[in-house]
Amino acid sequence: MTADPRMTGATATAARAPGPASGPAPAIELDHVSRWYGNVVAVNDISFSLGPGVTGLLGPNGAGKSTLLHMLAGLLRPSAGRLTVAGEPAWRNPSLYRRIGLVPEREAVHAFLTGFEFARMNARLQRLPDPDAAAARAIRTVDLESAAHRQIGTYSKGMRQRAKIAGALVHEPTILLLDEPFNGMDPRQRLHMIALLRAMAAEGRTILFSSHILEEVERLADEVLVIHAGRLAASGDFRQIRRLMTDRPHTFRIRSSDDRALGAALVAQPAVFGVELSDGRLIARVGDYGAFTAALAATAKRAAVSLYEVAPTDDSLESVFAYLVRR
Amino acid sequence: MTIFVTLVDVTLRGLVGRRRTVLLVLLAVLPIGLALLARLGGEAPDAAAALDALVVRIVLPLIALVFGTAALGAEIEDGTAVYLLTKPIARLHIVVAKVVVAALLTAALVAPSALATGLLMGGSDEGLAATLAVTPAVIIGSLLYAAAFVAISVVTTRALVIGLVYVVIWEGILAGILVGTRIFSIREAVLGFAGVLAPDAWEGGLEAAQAVGLALVVVIGGVALGARRLAVHEVRGGD
Repeated sequence: MTADPRMTGATATAARAPGPASGPAPAIELDHVSRWYGNVVAVNDISFSLGPGVTGLLGPNGAGKSTLLHMLAGLLRPSAGRLTVAGEPAWRNPSLYRRIGLVPEREAVHAFLTGFEFARMNARLQRLPDPDAAAARAIRTVDLESAAHRQIGTYSKGMRQRAKIAGALVHEPTILLLDEPFNGMDPRQRLHMIALLRAMAAEGRTILFSSHILEEVERLADEVLVIHAGRLAASGDFRQIRRLMTDRPHTFRIRSSDDRALGAALVAQPAVFGVELSDGRLIARVGDYGAFTAALAATAKRAAVSLYEVAPTDDSLESVFAYLVRR
Repeated sequence: MTIFVTLVDVTLRGLVGRRRTVLLVLLAVLPIGLALLARLGGEAPDAAAALDALVVRIVLPLIALVFGTAALGAEIEDGTAVYLLTKPIARLHIVVAKVVVAALLTAALVAPSALATGLLMGGSDEGLAATLAVTPAVIIGSLLYAAAFVAISVVTTRALVIGLVYVVIWEGILAGILVGTRIFSIREAVLGFAGVLAPDAWEGGLEAAQAVGLALVVVIGGVALGARRLAVHEVRGGD
């Protein structure tokens, strides 16, 4: 992916420029891919390409992340555009599954199998020469040895998730697609999984995982694809996108001992675009989140005003994504 | 071979050991219980008529319907089919394994039910001949119904309802009124096979050639349709 994040509008641009003609083909490549269900557009004209490493697919619930991952896994036919995985079309191409591992979001697993049996079933269906050894290795990798011989039906959500991951990486795929992989995991399990996925990426594998939680993506992914309402809102280096998210215009609702005096003091701040009094509250519109919050207390003190309440009004992830799309 | 055995093993374990299996066993035992009651009551019913009414018309299609629609349809419904679909295996292998398991389980319940019911009915040599003929016929019937219901379960999520309509309306009512519709009745094919094995004990049913033709169409067509539809089956994402 390119180092510079590209903010995208109606038509998403490539997260990574095509490599030189002599270089290896991208592991994943989408060229103006759309998918719709009847009149509903789930994925809208998305283009990007990915190589080895960990990439986070970030977006709110309903953004189209799972639809995108299902198309990459060959489980959904793109309505328009071209989509290739390991240089081949993903749709109707079962031989591709030798190189792909998928962890679906849906929790359902064969509850009557033990974790080990589930991993072994996956190994056998992958035609591995020694399914027992491969299953044992996968179970060990996801730290599920202590419960390996218990039925999956008795597992906690986090254990079930790890069993699914064991099944997906039992054949050591070069491309791993994970749909909300950290659902149900406790903090220790998350750290273990993050370390595991990072190690796999360091071996040259391509890992694409979806999440609606910013912090998860921040901890694992170097590169990120931000998707909102079916569109690619941003792509590239996570830190730069995070900065864009943080530095966007913010609105704060403030309650103090003297809103008028505080408003007059704040409007002199370079980070503040404007202030207004509305419904007995002071509303401040700011351009630099960090500078404003750092200076607010000192400004209030200089104006001899007591702060009772400071609340950002648009800090939901949804509003962040909407802002990125508008850009 | 490993692939096929694995598919059969997982399907078998998924279908057996659930509450529905207990209910199906009870359904299979029902004709035996009724035959026992008749025997204790001193009656000597017509074995062929009783086997047709209880086993061929009710027990066989209902058990096949449950196993046939659950073998693959339930996995598609609950999402576990994804773990089979994301493997480098031909869709045909998946469908064949599902049909084989559904047929084996159906036959495992229905064939002993037919044999025990017929033997308990006792009666003449003709009754014994009818029983010995219908037992292999319901085994063939298990395969035909399984192929049909597995295929329907890939085509639609309402396989149970459609299968029930086929058994009750098409085979149960229409085939009795409109003789021409019998050519598409698995039940009539089962009776036809029984008639081939014991012509004196079984009347009605399809001619041997028609029964074989229908069997080939249902098994080959069902498996081919199921594999074809599974190859283009789409798994929708959560968002």
